Amino acid sequence: MGELKVAIVGCGKIADGHVEEIQKLGHLARIVAVCDREMVMARQLAVRYGVPNTYDDYDAMLRTEKPDVVHVTTPPQVHKDLAMKAIDAGAHVFVEKPLTLDYAASRALVEYADRAKKKLGVGYSYHFEPHAEELRNLVRAGAIGDVVHLESFYGYDLSGAFGKALLGDPSHWVHAMPGKLLQNTLDHALAKIVEFIPDERPEITAFGSLRREARFGDRRDELCDEARIVIRGQRVTSYVTFSAHARPVAHTLRVYGTKNTAHLDYNNRTCTLERTPTLPSAVGRLTPAFENALAFAAQGFRNMRRFSRSKFHFFAGLGLMFERYYESILKDSEPPVAHRDILRVAWMLDRIFAEVDASLTTSKRRDTSSNPTEAEAR
Amino acid sequence: MNAASKILVTGPNGFLGVALIERLLARDTPGVVAVVRAGSDRKRLDAVIARHPKSDIQIVTGSLATVAEASKLLEGVGTILHLAAALRGPAAEIFLGTVVASKNLLEAIVARRERPRIVLVSSFGVYGVADLPKGHVVDESTPLEPHPERRDHYSHAKLRQEELFFEYHRKHGVPLTVLRPGAIYGPNGGAFSGRVGLQLPGFFLFLGGKNLLPLSYVDNCAEAICLAAEHARFDGDIYNVHDDELIDCGEYLHRYRRDVSPLRVVKMPYPAAMVMSKAVEWYHKHSRGQLPAIFTPYKTRTTWKGNRFSNAKLKGLGFNQLVSTDEGLRRTFEHLRASSPS
Repeated sequence: MGELKVAIVGCGKIADGHVEEIQKLGHLARIVAVCDREMVMARQLAVRYGVPNTYDDYDAMLRTEKPDVVHVTTPPQVHKDLAMKAIDAGAHVFVEKPLTLDYAASRALVEYADRAKKKLGVGYSYHFEPHAEELRNLVRAGAIGDVVHLESFYGYDLSGAFGKALLGDPSHWVHAMPGKLLQNTLDHALAKIVEFIPDERPEITAFGSLRREARFGDRRDELCDEARIVIRGQRVTSYVTFSAHARPVAHTLRVYGTKNTAHLDYNNRTCTLERTPTLPSAVGRLTPAFENALAFAAQGFRNMRRFSRSKFHFFAGLGLMFERYYESILKDSEPPVAHRDILRVAWMLDRIFAEVDASLTTSKRRDTSSNPTEAEAR
Repeated sequence: MNAASKILVTGPNGFLGVALIERLLARDTPGVVAVVRAGSDRKRLDAVIARHPKSDIQIVTGSLATVAEASKLLEGVGTILHLAAALRGPAAEIFLGTVVASKNLLEAIVARRERPRIVLVSSFGVYGVADLPKGHVVDESTPLEPHPERRDHYSHAKLRQEELFFEYHRKHGVPLTVLRPGAIYGPNGGAFSGRVGLQLPGFFLFLGGKNLLPLSYVDNCAEAICLAAEHARFDGDIYNVHDDELIDCGEYLHRYRRDVSPLRVVKMPYPAAMVMSKAVEWYHKHSRGQLPAIFTPYKTRTTWKGNRFSNAKLKGLGFNQLVSTDEGLRRTFEHLRASSPS
């Protein structure tokens, strides 16, 4: 098999990123068609990126184009069905995150792909950012020692383009997912830590809260905008924070090791190592600031080198992920995100949503009882 | 009021929409129905309505997100003034909010026995002027954009929106009039049309030179929509909308600096803008999109080569500027000065 024929179903925002990154992999893959149930959307994507064929009938696209790979970039509610259809049509399938709506559906899809001997990919693109690769290299080289604890922070801007879209529309697909906004974001926060937590079923405790004032009078007011999660494995623990209010909107990972601590900043594209001081007394407190400054300066130069080589694209992680995914198809090797990790993330998400829902219900009950009605007050 | 005499306004909460509601109420237009999305900020719209306490305007919550939702809005409607559009954001959002929403509205219309008349508020952005000579007079016969993919997403979407309306007009006989406004300005609007230049961090890049600006003061544009609703033929007729008294980009920038703030300006002549555009486009291709192609020779030719404009056809409907350009600029700059952080 040479160049892979790729088809895309779902022509919303994220489809742009897929098309742009796939088109950079000219030697590996070629987009033959895009499909959306609304032809207007399929055509706008095809016109802007020069894709030759458009469909509003998914079955017809699969039948006519016979793609080697289908990228599913629709809302998650239909991921599983569309992915299974693609597999039935003989295609490998790459699904945007979240893979499905719950663990049971994710497991069914993973098993379906495995039985058909098709590669299933999922859009954990942060996994493949150049700086996440640097972190992995540090871990492999033993610079961190054994991983003890992780802190994963995922900030969110509700006044950004996507936030506005979902707050502006009570029928937005995000509101219809079991985990709502958390389901569309937390898998990024979890996908980057599962590789360091070997446990199949770690203990999970979580709570969520609503910091915004209610202003819509509908389900948009129920969107959880803060969540705190503790994951407890046998040897490694993790805190996961989701915050729609903390500024700046950060996306970070700290990996605490028995030797040193690594800090990965996904937005600012830095991966730095905080070392245990080696010099004694006050001198030992004087030098770290300079060491840290040097570490950031070195990172800045590495970033500039990447930029000068045109390897610093906005969706760099997405591009590398696709490249590895396509190579796994061509070489029949393991896909870039292990199916076990996909399922562990899905399992954790189910647990988190259950705990967050319970905490929101409890706090609502508490609020009601601490604010008696006028009649009760009398 | 007969069974289909209401006037439905989509997008009444926007910059032009609020001005249109004010004009309709000032003209004592009966049966105005304004559709707003659930949870949208209605402060400015409510203020307009409060100024016209005797009006019978009806505000309904709804959307054009599906054909079914669009259908709910059409009961008793004889005329639709269609302003709703997504102005910014990713391409998919703009197409959903502008083209798909319009398609839902059109599908809802053709499902009815009595079809309301539509005034579509389109844009100058649909014209394809890149390859026309400098100074070409843009009127309603100017060709449409042949390469929408080379333009900004908004212009691309507005072109597809217009094509869609004309398709339904031809195939299903939907009564249609299209207005194409130029650069709409006024209090609560933006400070600069892209035709003048670009606000960059720390300075304003002035690219418009002596090019004429197709200004349309927001109240004048609203008046043009009212006139079209009353007097147009709805046979697919098209009207360019801009004011009678036009000024050039240099004059606009001069007045802004005098009346609002002494902006730091870097002037870039058209030939230099073309050289820069070629460099930006080359780098965009060379780096495989590492930086966006904000400037391309095609966009530069479209925006800053310079055209002249004609609103003669609109004048045939009886259009006269309600607010002079001097007064429009004064009000706009006064508002900008009052709302500027310093």
